[in-house]
Amino acid sequence: MELLVQVLVSGILLGGLYALMALGLALVWGVLNIVNLSHGALIMLGAYATYFLFTGTGLDPFVALPITAIGLFVLGYVIQRGVLNLVIRGPMFNTLLITFGIEVILTYLAQLAFSADFRAINPSYAGNNFRIGGITIPLMQVLAFAVAMALTIAMWLFLLHTRVGRGIRAAAQNLVAARLYGVDPRSIYALTFGIGSALAGVAGGLYGTVSQINPYIGGPLTAKSFAIAIIGGLENPLGVIVGGLVLGIVESLTALYAGSTYRDVASFGVLILVLILRPTGLLGRTA
Amino acid sequence: MLRFLSLFAAALAFAGTAAAQTISLGASVQLTGPVANTGRYYKDAYEFAIEKINAAGGVKVGSQQQKIALKLLDNQSDVNLSVRQYTQLLTQDKVNFLLGPFASNFVLADSSIAEKASVPMVQGGGASDEIYTRGYKYIFGTLPAASDYFGSTVEALGKLNPPPKNVALLFADDSFDVSVAKGTRELLKKAGMQTVLDERYSTNASDFSVLLSRIKSSNVDAVLVAGHETEVLNFIRQAKSLNVNPKFYSFTVGVPSADFRHALGKDANGASGMTAWLPSASLKDKWFGDAEQFAKAYKAKFGYDPDYHAAAGVAAVEAFVYAIEAAGSLDAGKVRDALAKTNFESLYGHIAFNDKGQISLPQIMIQIQNDQVVEVYSGGKFVNKPVYPLPTWDKR
Repeated sequence: MELLVQVLVSGILLGGLYALMALGLALVWGVLNIVNLSHGALIMLGAYATYFLFTGTGLDPFVALPITAIGLFVLGYVIQRGVLNLVIRGPMFNTLLITFGIEVILTYLAQLAFSADFRAINPSYAGNNFRIGGITIPLMQVLAFAVAMALTIAMWLFLLHTRVGRGIRAAAQNLVAARLYGVDPRSIYALTFGIGSALAGVAGGLYGTVSQINPYIGGPLTAKSFAIAIIGGLENPLGVIVGGLVLGIVESLTALYAGSTYRDVASFGVLILVLILRPTGLLGRTA
Repeated sequence: MLRFLSLFAAALAFAGTAAAQTISLGASVQLTGPVANTGRYYKDAYEFAIEKINAAGGVKVGSQQQKIALKLLDNQSDVNLSVRQYTQLLTQDKVNFLLGPFASNFVLADSSIAEKASVPMVQGGGASDEIYTRGYKYIFGTLPAASDYFGSTVEALGKLNPPPKNVALLFADDSFDVSVAKGTRELLKKAGMQTVLDERYSTNASDFSVLLSRIKSSNVDAVLVAGHETEVLNFIRQAKSLNVNPKFYSFTVGVPSADFRHALGKDANGASGMTAWLPSASLKDKWFGDAEQFAKAYKAKFGYDPDYHAAAGVAAVEAFVYAIEAAGSLDAGKVRDALAKTNFESLYGHIAFNDKGQISLPQIMIQIQNDQVVEVYSGGKFVNKPVYPLPTWDKR
């Protein structure tokens, strides 16, 4: 029983981080209708940025996160304005190719700049934990979980209650009507992509504190984010939380009962089930 | 006109002999992609060894001194690409002989290309027993058998006081690690140790919380992990954050390398592992003097410490030099037969291949103590005192 609870706790904490990773991808996908294949590479860059802020200036990784976010926001904004805007009305295939190209470029630039060495963001309290009953709760994962939840909910409130947020949602739902009401799609798109990149950067910083960083971590993380975005649906940031938690828990329970090699079978199995049964995502509107 | 033609023919003949005066070695290694940080050992080792050998006059083929040229390609950590590149090296670049890539799954695929073309490949990157059980004649390896990676470790475990009462064996689902697990299972059985957890996990797994929770709940004393460096880093970090405290843990990869210690910092202390090579002055070498001098020169040249991958790569190049000189020709068949009879001392150790083509070297058990790699157990006895049982995380 204790083992099951421990595994569930780990799954939930993992799911929170998954959710934050997927949030930026889901946002960009929902608004710009671009599946951003470079999302994982942006997570990787966020991880490196936080790593170098931590090792270079001694800045606590959690304090460094806002700086990482700003840096990635600017990068995302520039990528959207300078590159993606050129193909925004093009077929899906073009945007897939271009974001894939950006992923390759970012990854290999990262190897040139940072080498393929493995790194980890390792502040002195990184391995700390506390106990509740017989359950060990890792501090870092809880902090990462808290930041992930706070950002996701903040994102939800931002989209619901601010002028820019409403503009973003309007552009996503009906671009023509939105333009008639004075929404400038170019700046809304660049803003959205910037926010998506900033979220990826924060997710990367948190990922670096609980896992390890190298230039090639991006690919699998894009795949994971993609699955979560589909499971949760693109309508609502809260859906991404549900998607992340479902994935974290399913993966952990599968590893416990079926064996560790079946994790991906289970998570992509859930993805297929959701696509068949609820194509709009678990929290999406039913057709 | 006739004179011109004969001049032309002479020029052609001259060009022919000039081209024949270099021996070309071809290799495809991981310079980019997820395993690039191990692939670089092979690039640097091959280039360094060839530079040294050429500086000392090259290779004596019959009565001629010939230089070695290296044709190196980047396989981007992609097995399929590496197979195409080895095919290209043989058909298009027409290299004389092949050096290997890193990692067993690459060697498994690439050695088939060498075998089909009957061109010898000497590789220092793949240890899986699978490579040598297919009856191939043209593959030679300078890494000792995967099944024995934990050999010295299991032996040492039995001599610890008190010996661990049970063991967990975790392994990734690739050729090398499955081979390690298979061999280790036998070794543990022979040693009479109780294995409470024997579990395979997916390569590149990043979350070990479930396995760690199971290790904790079954009170496992000793954990043996056969995996990749990224997994080992995650395993140790998560063991700390989940407060999982086995008395002993050992990993097939990462422990001897500098970036492993760098990434983990103090948390690397206590991790055990193995290496077939330590840069000791007692390992003499024709070109580098000895292993200690090699390690110093390597560090000065490339800016990081060599580990056994680099030494095994150098040994692969040297094996070709000895074999070509013994064969007295560049004929693939003759060099292959000479390789089978190779017998020399190198900075990596004594090089001689068994009838399957694999080298036999004992694994030295090492442990990270005070941020340094310390030799713990080799040649059947403890050389230095191991930290055992490991202190719990809160007491470190």
